[in-house]
Amino acid sequence: MIKTPSLPLGRISLLLAILVWLALVLVDLVRIFGMINNLDSGISEEVTWILEILFFFFVYLVYRHIFWKNRQADFLTLIWRGVSNGLFAAGAGLLTELIYLTLGESKIGTDPFLNNIFYHINFAWTSAFLISTTLLWRHLILYQKNKQVVKQWRVFELSMLGALFFVFFNHNNFDYSFLFGLVILLVVSIRLAVNLKWIPYLNFKEKWKTLLFLFLILLSSGILFYRVLSYGNEAILQINLTDNLFIMALFGFVFAYGLFSFLVTLFNLPTSSVFEQKLTEAINFQKLSQSIQPEDNEEQVLDILLDSCISASYSDGAWIELNSKEQIQLKHPLRLLDQATQTALAALIPKETQSWTLSPSTEQAQTVRLNHDVYKSALLVPLIVNKSIVARIILIKEVKEGFNKEMMSIIGTFARQACISVENHRLLNQAIANERYQEELKIAQRVQKALLPLELDHPDSFEICAYSNTADEVGGDYYDTYQVDAAHFVVIMGDVSGKGTSAAFHMAQMKGVFQSLIQLGLKPAEFMKKANAALSKCLERNHFITASIFEIDTNSQTFCHARAGHIPTLWYKAKEKTAEFISMEGLGLGIVRNPSYQNHVHEKTFNYQKGDILVLLTDGILEGRNEKGEQFGYERLKNLVEANPQLAPSILQQVIIDSLHQFVGGDGMIDDDYSLLVVKFTHPE
Amino acid sequence: MLRIEKIKEENKDILRLIGEVDASNSVLLDQSIQEVVQQGASFLLIDGKELGYISSAGLGVFMSYLDEFSEKGIRFAIFGLNDQVGEVFKILGLDRLISIVPDKLTAIASQHES
Repeated sequence: MIKTPSLPLGRISLLLAILVWLALVLVDLVRIFGMINNLDSGISEEVTWILEILFFFFVYLVYRHIFWKNRQADFLTLIWRGVSNGLFAAGAGLLTELIYLTLGESKIGTDPFLNNIFYHINFAWTSAFLISTTLLWRHLILYQKNKQVVKQWRVFELSMLGALFFVFFNHNNFDYSFLFGLVILLVVSIRLAVNLKWIPYLNFKEKWKTLLFLFLILLSSGILFYRVLSYGNEAILQINLTDNLFIMALFGFVFAYGLFSFLVTLFNLPTSSVFEQKLTEAINFQKLSQSIQPEDNEEQVLDILLDSCISASYSDGAWIELNSKEQIQLKHPLRLLDQATQTALAALIPKETQSWTLSPSTEQAQTVRLNHDVYKSALLVPLIVNKSIVARIILIKEVKEGFNKEMMSIIGTFARQACISVENHRLLNQAIANERYQEELKIAQRVQKALLPLELDHPDSFEICAYSNTADEVGGDYYDTYQVDAAHFVVIMGDVSGKGTSAAFHMAQMKGVFQSLIQLGLKPAEFMKKANAALSKCLERNHFITASIFEIDTNSQTFCHARAGHIPTLWYKAKEKTAEFISMEGLGLGIVRNPSYQNHVHEKTFNYQKGDILVLLTDGILEGRNEKGEQFGYERLKNLVEANPQLAPSILQQVIIDSLHQFVGGDGMIDDDYSLLVVKFTHPE
Repeated sequence: MLRIEKIKEENKDILRLIGEVDASNSVLLDQSIQEVVQQGASFLLIDGKELGYISSAGLGVFMSYLDEFSEKGIRFAIFGLNDQVGEVFKILGLDRLISIVPDKLTAIASQHES
């Protein structure tokens, strides 16, 4: 009956309880021996009482320990334990009675010592049953504890403690003080017994089991109580352990709480489905709010939603209608109905309530009366995600006006929660996709940066530097240098029409074409012709490229220049201290895609001087606009260079970029790629 | 921002460009020209009096139709461009391929000449 606890505390208590009980048996036998033989055994009845109290105390400790270990177990397991204790104790009692019945008036049957040993055994089982059941009730009473219940329990415990020692005051007499104490304890017990909050948490099946268990506990305690009373009446007995206020009060408490629980469980049976329903709704709600993981899909959410709505409204049929614009595919959009019935029912629902456009009438759940043989009412619940109706749940019932306010409100809550889940799901996926694009663009940016030269080839006789920035992550501007031989250098700049990714791809093609042609040692005009022919084959029809090319000969201090639709290059002449844009005819590459292009491009050779500066640029610089919409323009650039001819190219370049940014300001914009390449001739002396 | 007005005058289709043509709205210009061409226009005029800015993407649209215009014998002219926008056409060299004239009358006159 007593399970051995694994912790020493439980075991020690158990051991002590057994030892105390053995001592009690011994003491009482000695006392009985003394009484029968009219000898003074020298042991007063107080010793019995003290041992009895100690026994109660240790049994209490044993069960406290067992309950502590099993505090997470469910109600039924715990109650079953109480039942098994009770049945065991009652069974032992009945068995004893049976033995005595068979023994009859024989010598053993009337032997006071044997009788007392049996009595003590029954006393031990009964006490164990009462104490364990009291602790079980304690567990149930304090299941949903608040301050007041805890206080009530304290009062009960204290009065029980008082009852334990009452025997010293009352000397085991059945008098008014005993009755008075018993009444007080019963009142306290009954007050406690109304704390039955654990019962609603049982489901229907569990309630039936609980009823059975409680019945068995009541039966056991009834049998045990009857046995205790009958013992008290037996003349053979001289030592009475059970006419004790503590035991009686425990009987009262165990019986009262058992009876209350039994009755309340019984009366709770018919309404238990409501409570279970609410619990299911709460669980469904939780499921809906949790189904937002990105790997889950929207179909799953709608599936759960449909099931939840059906169970919340006791619907006899339901389906989900999806907005044709949505990409969702449901495996089982139809529940509890066959396809033909669904079609028939759908036809009965007014068309205007099935509209997919959001309006005050369609954004609310609405009930519809159906003119159907079997199905009489319908509820239409729209699912609104991001201000559009993505789907509609149609719930069908066989009764007229089958959807009450509570159902509609809980279904509305379900629907909203599901919509939030779907919306979150979409946003999350969008964010993930965006993240991926950003990542791809970063890679593109890195690759494209690598297309521009890190170092520019140049001799000591001129300095060169370049700068490029893109409007988007990637752009279509390009510049490069190439050393033909010791004295010949090529500087080139190109600009693909448009901006962004398409421009960037064309820029990569342009680099390929330029790098190939540059090896051939072509003169600038010839270079442009070949480039036009090559690029015409690979550019999209509405794209073109503008380019400027300079072939610098440091021996003769000349540069040969051709321009293909590109922004004219600014040439600062140190000798004249003025700058001018080199105006030359020249059509962009890829505009005329046939040999006639050669009529549209020219080259010209110029002499340069020491201190001369060439500023190659793309239109992004000139077209940078301030908040008034004015462009940076040719004139500002020209003035800037004329004002700062003494600066080294890198510094001059920085000055230009800074003043461009200053001009554009915070509110203006540079909505294009912009690049700058500065050459400054430093030789000859 | 770009607004395109279509005006039909006798045998002429005139597209009035109001605002700016850039990479984001050059598709609109492309669609308008395509529609006009599909409707069998024989003389397409672009009114650029209220065109404040054109980016290279916008120029690319005109450029992409040049072959089709000459194949189908569609006359094409742009008139009324302000200096800044005219300069953009000129720098790219498009002034050599497209007839860019100061006003509508000149555009029509040039048709009779040719």
